[in-house]
Amino acid sequence: MKLRSVLLATSMLAVAGAASAEEYVIGVMSAQSGYLAPYDGPAYAGFQFCIDEMNAKGGLNGNLKVRTIVKDTRSDIAEGVKVVQEMLDEGAQFIVSSADADPTIAAAQITLADSVPTMTFAGTAPVLTQVGPHVFGSYPADNQQGAVLAAYAREQDHSNVYLVKSPDSAYTLGGPEYFGAAFESLGGKIVGESNYSLNQPDFSAIVTTIKAADPAPDVIVTWAWEPDFPAFIKALRGAGVDTQVMGGDVLDTPTVRGLGDVVSGVVHTSGGFPDEGSAYASFIDRFKAATGTEPDNNYYVNGCDIAHMIEQAVAAAGGTDPAAVTAAMTGIENGEGIMSNFTFAGTDRMPLRDVVVARISASGEKEFVLRQSADPATLPKP
Amino acid sequence: MAAALSSHPARLLAANVSRTALCLGLLIVVALALALIFGRSGERIAVQMCVNVAAVVALGVYCGNTGIVSFGHGAFMAIGAYLSGILTMPSGLQRTALPELPAFLAGYELSIWASLLVVAVVGLGVAALSGTAIARLIGASATISTLGFLIITHGVAVGAREITRGSQTFFGVPRVVDLALALGAAAAFILIARAFRESRVGLFARASRDDPDAAAALGVNPQRTRFVAWCLSGMLCAVAGALYGHMLGAFSPASFYLSIVFAHVAMMIVGGMASVGGAVAGVLGVTLLQDTVRQFEGGFDLFGFAVPEVFGLTTVVLGLAILAVIWLRPTGLVGAFELGPGAGWGAFDRVKRATTARPAPPAVADVTLSAEGLSKSFAGVKAVTNVSFEAPSGRITGLIGPNGAGKSTLVNLLTKQYQADQGAVMYRGQDLTHLTREGIARLGVSRSFQNLRLFKGLTVYENVLVSAQAAGHRGRAAAAVALRELEAFDLGDLAAARADALPYGARKRLEIARSLAQEPSILLLDEPAAGMNPAETDDLADRLQKISEERGIGVLLIDHDLRFVNRLSSWIVVMNRGELIAEGVPEDIRTDPAVIEAYIGRGRTAAAATTQTQTTENQQGEGP
Repeated sequence: MKLRSVLLATSMLAVAGAASAEEYVIGVMSAQSGYLAPYDGPAYAGFQFCIDEMNAKGGLNGNLKVRTIVKDTRSDIAEGVKVVQEMLDEGAQFIVSSADADPTIAAAQITLADSVPTMTFAGTAPVLTQVGPHVFGSYPADNQQGAVLAAYAREQDHSNVYLVKSPDSAYTLGGPEYFGAAFESLGGKIVGESNYSLNQPDFSAIVTTIKAADPAPDVIVTWAWEPDFPAFIKALRGAGVDTQVMGGDVLDTPTVRGLGDVVSGVVHTSGGFPDEGSAYASFIDRFKAATGTEPDNNYYVNGCDIAHMIEQAVAAAGGTDPAAVTAAMTGIENGEGIMSNFTFAGTDRMPLRDVVVARISASGEKEFVLRQSADPATLPKP
Repeated sequence: MAAALSSHPARLLAANVSRTALCLGLLIVVALALALIFGRSGERIAVQMCVNVAAVVALGVYCGNTGIVSFGHGAFMAIGAYLSGILTMPSGLQRTALPELPAFLAGYELSIWASLLVVAVVGLGVAALSGTAIARLIGASATISTLGFLIITHGVAVGAREITRGSQTFFGVPRVVDLALALGAAAAFILIARAFRESRVGLFARASRDDPDAAAALGVNPQRTRFVAWCLSGMLCAVAGALYGHMLGAFSPASFYLSIVFAHVAMMIVGGMASVGGAVAGVLGVTLLQDTVRQFEGGFDLFGFAVPEVFGLTTVVLGLAILAVIWLRPTGLVGAFELGPGAGWGAFDRVKRATTARPAPPAVADVTLSAEGLSKSFAGVKAVTNVSFEAPSGRITGLIGPNGAGKSTLVNLLTKQYQADQGAVMYRGQDLTHLTREGIARLGVSRSFQNLRLFKGLTVYENVLVSAQAAGHRGRAAAAVALRELEAFDLGDLAAARADALPYGARKRLEIARSLAQEPSILLLDEPAAGMNPAETDDLADRLQKISEERGIGVLLIDHDLRFVNRLSSWIVVMNRGELIAEGVPEDIRTDPAVIEAYIGRGRTAAAATTQTQTTENQQGEGP
């Protein structure tokens, strides 16, 4: 029985592998379980939705149908390596990789051999493009988010920052450090730093250290995600510290906004904001109408924007040759996106995109504060 | 059957060779089938499977032979992967990816082979260092300490940013693991693990796993066996980690943290933790199941019906499979024994090469074990108070006393199972209270236990073989000694059976045979006849008498069966309430008023008591 199943699966793969000449094959690594699932899931849904929309209108640029091969990596890097190779075997001409640096870099080392362009769903660590000239980010990188947030903090006359970071992941470590670097270059001062471990249940020691910091910070910055951020903010507010807290785009979730009083006034970065009448708002309406799911975070729309980036790169390349698509992508300047426009030209392939700063209101709503591109002068180096 | 027993060592060798061949065959068949039938995609599954086999077999070298689940092996894998990555990375790439790498680590560009060699040496070094602490622990505390080791190593890997890039991805590791290398490594690991398992140290480790006290009483140092198993396992895991790293090409400390460790431990437990075959079967089973189910996740057509994509199916099916195995086969797919036929399998009857049982050792020289004023209290309760007596070679000395008299405590003091509060145990001019348990055994003082303490996971033959090897016999000489004792206690037919499958009487005989395989000068037998029926007791008495006369061993015999003790002993020591109340030849002891009082109470005349003693003897003899 098992053998028969395997044979059946293989024959299906063989049929699927026969790519037709008039299609563009995109391999998608998407973790459907494990720590990456909350990012890969929505990103893949948004990506596939927009690809389907394009295909309904004739394909990329109206003339090149797209076929996606999507494989689950279970957030396991070894599994990721395997599925990328399988997707290349099956004729993938473009790889969209999981939303983190580890699997993206592992995949990019494999796609390097044939220079198959590789783009991460939402990996934001700027280092990931160092693997080769064929690797691209899609989401505003950590250093851009840090720089925009730091500029905003300085505008608010904050001058002493306390950084809370975790060396357990590039994101939780890098975000506050980029913020700190930009903040200092704008004349601010780092008055203290604390490290936590991912999934640390108790933040009271860190809160005590913050209370004892001299001079006292007027802003606390952390790139902590759930469940660490809720644990931290509850301990902080519970100890009577009402200092302004700022964080990364992971705070842009309904669960964080639903934490109540403790998160009131918390400021965070975000990839985009669905202003009324914007393309983003229209995307949300269309997606909801088609799937019944409300896209409640930016990964959906960023997934869709990846489809637009590929479409524009293929158009500029005038074909599907991997090297040409890579070169065309690298040259995109102010390409039109739904979450925000994107510029690869002049970057190290982490696109320069607008960063939104948002505030959580007393009623748990997300309020728009500002939209800005990072200033290359103060952008911290990766 | 005597002829069959003499060929047992050869049959065991044949069984061990075929078990190893079966492991290798299974791996090679599955790996090649994947590669040949399913092409490149099958080959990659096979590569991943082989690397996992190497890692899980390496993990099993420690866990299987010591019975301790380890989570620390992710640490060795991380060390191997990072070290090999740094040593083999092209210099140009290294300068970009690791700009702050300390000079002593930079720019080697070693070949994978040279790098694996360095990894093995470093892995061994780290294992030896960590093993000095971890090997001291057993059971759950050992497991927790391995977890601690993993957490510490993970912390160091995250913190050593100049070397590892911290929590960021470490990339640029040459992806050089092809099927030949992975399969070759997995096969080599299986050979090493199998050889270790059946080796002298491996046997000692498994004996210590089943009963550390009994092993120590034979002269085996359980801590040392755990140390050796940890070191070998750590070294192999480091190499497996390097292979894993070279398979991925990019990884971070998280790649070697809890999820991979749990995955490997799960594979090992699903297959069967006690054996190499279990480790191999676990990885093969899990891989085949995972990769079969995975093909259906993306949705497929079934007889014209479109089945939608079901992501997470793999995880669900794998979880159910693990639950099913734990429920239906708690010892794993392979079970508690090594995969494949044992020495008792009919096909091995054709193996005839005989090992001649060793003749009885020459009569032992005149030595005496003497207790001098031994005392021991437990939380204020005096178990043994100032007891002195002698047990010389060439004599069976009976030690009797009512329940709770302190007899077993005394034996435990003599063999350092307990540390005496006061007094000395003199033997060959040394005070045994200053030696270790193993040291006492090596001096020629052997013991059996009141409650059976056999090595349950070993066969009858292996139980006795461990003892002969612990006494310093090697190879065929050890086998010859084991055969002699099995013959002497009529256990030849059962040689290939698992010790815990024996009937009660045979287990008792096995424990004595095991003690005698040490060729002791003094043998302490703690209730050897307890629970035996009268026929078995008589049979045991005959055998003990014969051996004692033949070899001149001094026996200290403790038993409740006074008839049994009276028949065998030429000198009897009597204890009551922790004190020695009488000693002498059996005739005197039978009429000693203090002894009668101890057994049947105050206020009886000696004459009446004599009759009573006879009755008591008979009752005791038939008692449980």
